Formats: sequence, C-alpha cells, structure tokens
Amino acid sequence: MAKEKKITRKEDAILEAKRKAELMSMMSETTHKVGDVKHELLLSIKDLKLHFETVRGPVQAVDGVNFDLVTNKAVVVVGESGCGKSSLAKAILRLLPRNVAHYSGEVWLRDIETMGLSEEEYREDIRWVKISMVPQAAMNSLNPVLRVGDQVAEPMLVHYGMPKEEAMEQAAIMFRNVGVPVDFLTRYPFELSGGMRQRVAIAMALVTGPDLVILDEPTSALDVLTQANIFNLLKRIKANLETSFILITHDISTSSELADIVAVMYAGKIIEVSESHRFFSEPRHPYARALMASVPRLREREEPHFIEGKPPSLINPPTGCRFKDRCPNRFEKCEEEPPTVVFGDDWVACWLYEGQGE
Amino acid sequence: MSIETNSQETSLEYAKRATRETAKRLARFFSIRLVLQIITIIIGVYITILVANMGGYVDTILKASILEEVNLEVSAMVTEKDIPREMREQMVRDLVAERETLAGLDQPFIQRSFRHLWNGLTLNFGRARFMVSDHGSRMVRNIILERLPATLLLMGTSQLLLFFVTLSIALAVSRHYGSLWDKLIVALSPTSSIPPWFYGIFLILVFAAWLKILPFSGMVDAPPPPTKWLYFLNVLKHLILPAGSLFVSSFFISTYSWRTFFLIYSSEDYVDMAKAKGLSDRAIERRYILRPTLPSIITSFALLMVGIWTGATLTETIFNWPGLGTTIYTAISKYDTAVIVGTTIIQAYLLGITVFFLDFLYAIVDPRVKLGGGK
Repeated sequence: MAKEKKITRKEDAILEAKRKAELMSMMSETTHKVGDVKHELLLSIKDLKLHFETVRGPVQAVDGVNFDLVTNKAVVVVGESGCGKSSLAKAILRLLPRNVAHYSGEVWLRDIETMGLSEEEYREDIRWVKISMVPQAAMNSLNPVLRVGDQVAEPMLVHYGMPKEEAMEQAAIMFRNVGVPVDFLTRYPFELSGGMRQRVAIAMALVTGPDLVILDEPTSALDVLTQANIFNLLKRIKANLETSFILITHDISTSSELADIVAVMYAGKIIEVSESHRFFSEPRHPYARALMASVPRLREREEPHFIEGKPPSLINPPTGCRFKDRCPNRFEKCEEEPPTVVFGDDWVACWLYEGQGE
Repeated sequence: MSIETNSQETSLEYAKRATRETAKRLARFFSIRLVLQIITIIIGVYITILVANMGGYVDTILKASILEEVNLEVSAMVTEKDIPREMREQMVRDLVAERETLAGLDQPFIQRSFRHLWNGLTLNFGRARFMVSDHGSRMVRNIILERLPATLLLMGTSQLLLFFVTLSIALAVSRHYGSLWDKLIVALSPTSSIPPWFYGIFLILVFAAWLKILPFSGMVDAPPPPTKWLYFLNVLKHLILPAGSLFVSSFFISTYSWRTFFLIYSSEDYVDMAKAKGLSDRAIERRYILRPTLPSIITSFALLMVGIWTGATLTETIFNWPGLGTTIYTAISKYDTAVIVGTTIIQAYLLGITVFFLDFLYAIVDPRVKLGGGK
C-alpha cells in the first residue's frame, strides 16, 4: 500500500492524456481528420520469437516475426486459428503464460528497445503508458467485483499518480467519448451488456492516451450490429488521434473497415505485409490469395474456396516455406527459406517474387 | 448539459430502486433461509438423540443396570431370614420402579425422545449420568463450559495459524508455478492422509520421550506454576505438541488446495488484463485475485471457526488435553447420552448461525449477490 502511494504525479503525461481525451470528445460523428497527422516510425519488431513448452515439445507459436508500424496507422493481423496471432500480441505486450520455452527478439518502441527493459521498468514505462490492449472477451476481462469506473480510472492512479476524483473525471470523459452513459461509472461489469462492456474496455485502453493499442479480436464475441458500432467508434478514434492500432482478427471482412495495412500470419510467421487497398484487391502471397478467396462475397455467384490440407504443426514446422505443402504454386525452391521481397512499403516472403522487388 | 442532469437523476433513481429491491429480496431470502436452517437443525439434533440412545437400546442397558444395582443394595440391606421371599421381591420391584420413574424410563422411548429434543433445543441439557465436571457438577452445561476454553485454545491456535500460514504460502507459491517450492508442496501433500493423532504419537516420541524438551501430555504441570506469567508459559509449552501435530497434519494438503485455488483464479482474463495495465504484483494480488475470491476464502474461514468449537477428539485424547474432544470421547464410551447430545446441539447451533451469517457476508463482499436475479 505504502509503496503505491509513492507514485509521483506525472504532469506531462497527464496533460497529454487529457489532450487526447479532449481531441476525442471534439471529434465529429464522421471520420474526417481533425488535423494532419504525421506518420513516423512507432513500432519495430525484429525477429520476435515466442515458443511454448508442451509435453510433445516446444510449440513455435511466434517464430521470427518482423514488421514495422508507423503512427496513426492500423495494421490488421489476419490468419487462421492457431497461427500465432494472439501469441504475437502476447509477445509484444510481454504477457507471457507460465509455459514459455523461448522468448527473444527485439521490440523497438520509438527509440526504446523494450525487450531489454527489466520487468519493473517495463511495467512502469510501457504497460498502458505506451501500449494498451482491448481484450477479446471484455466479459471476462473486467474484474467482476470492482466498479467499471474504478477499473477505467485505475491506470491513471497507478501510472500518473492522479488523485482519485480527477481520475474518475477523466474516466467519465472517456465514457462519454466511447458512448457509455456516465452514470454507468458506478456499475459493476455484470450490470452491463456485452457491447457496453466492450466499450468500457476501449475506454480503459485509451484513458492514458497510449501510442499503440492492441485489439485482440475485439468484436468476435458480439453480434453484427454491435460489431459495426464498435468498428465505427474505432474508426473515429483512429481518425482523430495519433494512436496506432494492431488489430488481431480472423474476420477479414469486418477488419477491412479499419485496416491501413494487412499483415498475414501463417504458422508462426508473418508472410506478407501489404497496404490494405492493394491487398484486398490483389494479395501477393499464395496463402493470402487463398485466404481472400475463402471470404464469402455478396452478390457473386462464386462459392467461397477453402484451402486444402491443414496448417503444419507448430511443434515441428517444415523447413523452407511453411506453406509449401498446401501451395498450388509450389516448386523446388520452396524447400529453402523464402526471401523477403520488398515492394515499396509492402513486402512478401515467397520465392515466386524473387528478383521482382523494388 | 441537459443530458447530463438527466443521467444524474436516473443514476440516483437507479440507486434508490436498486436498494429498495435489494432490501426486499434480501428480507425474503433470509426469512426462508432462517426457517430452513431451523428445520435442518431440528432434524440433525433429533437424529443425534436417536443415535446417542442407540434407538432406545440404551434404555434396556440402563434398566438392566438399575435392576442389578437394586438387587445388590437389597441383598446388602436384608438377610433372607428376616423377610419372606415375596416381600423381598416386592421391595426390589418397588425400588426399581421408583428409580426408573426417576430416570424417566417408565415412559416409552419415542415419547421421551421428543422431550429430549425440546429440552436440547432450548439448551436445557439436564444432568450427566456418569460424568462429573472437575468442580463436581453433574450439569451437562457446566461440564461443557468447563472444557470449552481448553478446546478453544488448542483449536484456535492451530487452526488460525494453519489458515493464515497456508493461505499466504499458497499465494506465494502460486506466483511461482512450477518452482522447486511448488513441486515440494505438491509432492508432500499426500502426507496429510496421516491423521493428526498419529503425528501426535510421533511428536511425543521425538520431543518428549527422546529429546525430553517438551511435556508428554496435559495442559499444565502437576503443581501449577505460582504466577500468572509462568502459568501462561507453562500452558504454551504444553500447547506446542498437540497444536503442532494438528498443524503439520493439515499443512501440506491445505497449502496444496489453496495453491490450486489461486492458480485457477490467477489465470482469469482480468488478471492478465491487470498485468497489461501495469499494476504491481501486490496490487494484482490484492484487487484481482484476493478480492474476487474473498467469498470462498470467507466461507472456508467460517467453517474453520465452527470446527474450532468441536475440538479434535483423538488428538486431545492422545495428549490428555482437557477439552471437548476428550469429553466427547469419554461420553461415547460411557453411553452418557446427555453429554453427547449437549455438545452436538451446540455444534448444530454454531454451524447454523455461521452459515446464516455467511449469506450476509457474501452480500457485503460480492456485489453480484446484491442484485443478481432482480427484475
């Protein structure tokens, strides 16, 4: 108790959080930008690995992921269930389960290498101050015996040493910004509907004005109308703040609403990163093409395709390209580790594009 | 602005309505609980009376012993020459009838069992048949009251210590899942299948017989120490072995089960969330693990408090500890039904009251209990 009381009030951070909250409340119902936002490098991940220990051997859930993200962009990480999407989020957030076998790589946040920070430094300087998250099921992610207002205000108390009343005011502003009635502050999570709870989770993620918000399937537990609502809210927030988003989902159609960049993940690796407009019309990697072909489309006679075979086991992934066994374009080269072919801001890891990059 | 005032009003109204609804439902809930609780206690006590009287067979035993007693007395009083045989038999019959009436044995057992029930429930335990309190009283209430402090001392010390020590160790161990300490606790938990009285014998052998540093049994030395302070220390010295054996016998299994309990609750999504929010480990433990599990912890604590009043029958007997456990042991071996029934009724009442107040505590501790199931 005494230890927590010692937190000094961080004036700059409070002002910044308040400014962002102000920006959010000024934002119009449409998604036009309030002002021009600079794009500068925010997050840079280099060879990130996260392996889990199991009885049958280590599972290489995240195995050498590389990608960069600039400010005020939303990257959507898509992939099948079990490809390591959520583990990637956990690896970035350093939310490791008990059975970690291997955890390495570099995660640069602006000019800080967060993997080098101690647990305590990471907790104080990164968690929720720089990176926050919106969990998959807000139902289980809110403490059932604490009032939601207290839970939203909590990071301001813990990180910025804000007094309780002021933090509650900030929480009230955030509630208004995400469309939750202010008198819900004193309610308990079980008194809220699923959509409201998800909004509370979003308010909680944004209350400190972080640079990066990781959304781990934020709408997969909700009905279509509530999903649309939440996505409109996220779009508005993104249009008005410098915040970047990493959206992890298997729902490609819904995520296209928010995406600036699409990152395709397969068997623990990211195999393609493309600007979203290009990606949705013309994905490069054979797996990405197959994935897009499997998305059902309105008013088209064409039936959705599925990919034959199943993803490789992450315990003993195949050498070379991990998609080769299911790939229609397979040839001899695929036995070797595929090269990263860069096209401007985009890249793809596939032998088909060897030598074609810019 | 108008929206805000509106929402404020609704908030106030909501709170008022919620309180009203809650009060109504709580009142209904608790009156039903109270009635059920009383019925349960009555049934429990009646079964105890039946069992303690061996379904009426104790009457037969008592009648036989009265007959034998009277025969002996009469033959000691008179010689065969003085009185004719018929008169002598008449004398025996009269005496037996008198004593049976005195003991209430002239009425059928079923009828008396209900009287016992009423007396018991009104805490009117009557007199013991054979047992006598140290001060010479035959009143069951005096016997129980005399033994209660010793039991409370022994059980209170060992159980409270056990509860808080295992709880905090389990919390620490659950934080380091898979560590050496964690594995040790898991590996040693089967040792708790050995009953406390066995540990008692073992500890007596080691510390009293072999090392000779602690007393064998009893609660205080034969001539008790003169000053209060020395008396206290002396009791403490006698307390170590029995309390220790009770503690050791449950330590590992209790730590193990609390550890598992905390492991389950610390893998909840909201605990992960709290970690992502950058809360310190202590804050997470307090607000995100202990707080949501408080109802379960309180339940366990309350049941433990009830257990404290029972005493540990065999362990107390092994250590010759003058508590309720020893009393029950003696009472059972002597068919002293009044004492058995008396202690059981106190147990039943305590358990009933505890369970009843637990519901109140839940409503205070867990917000979900207050409004759950409302319109």
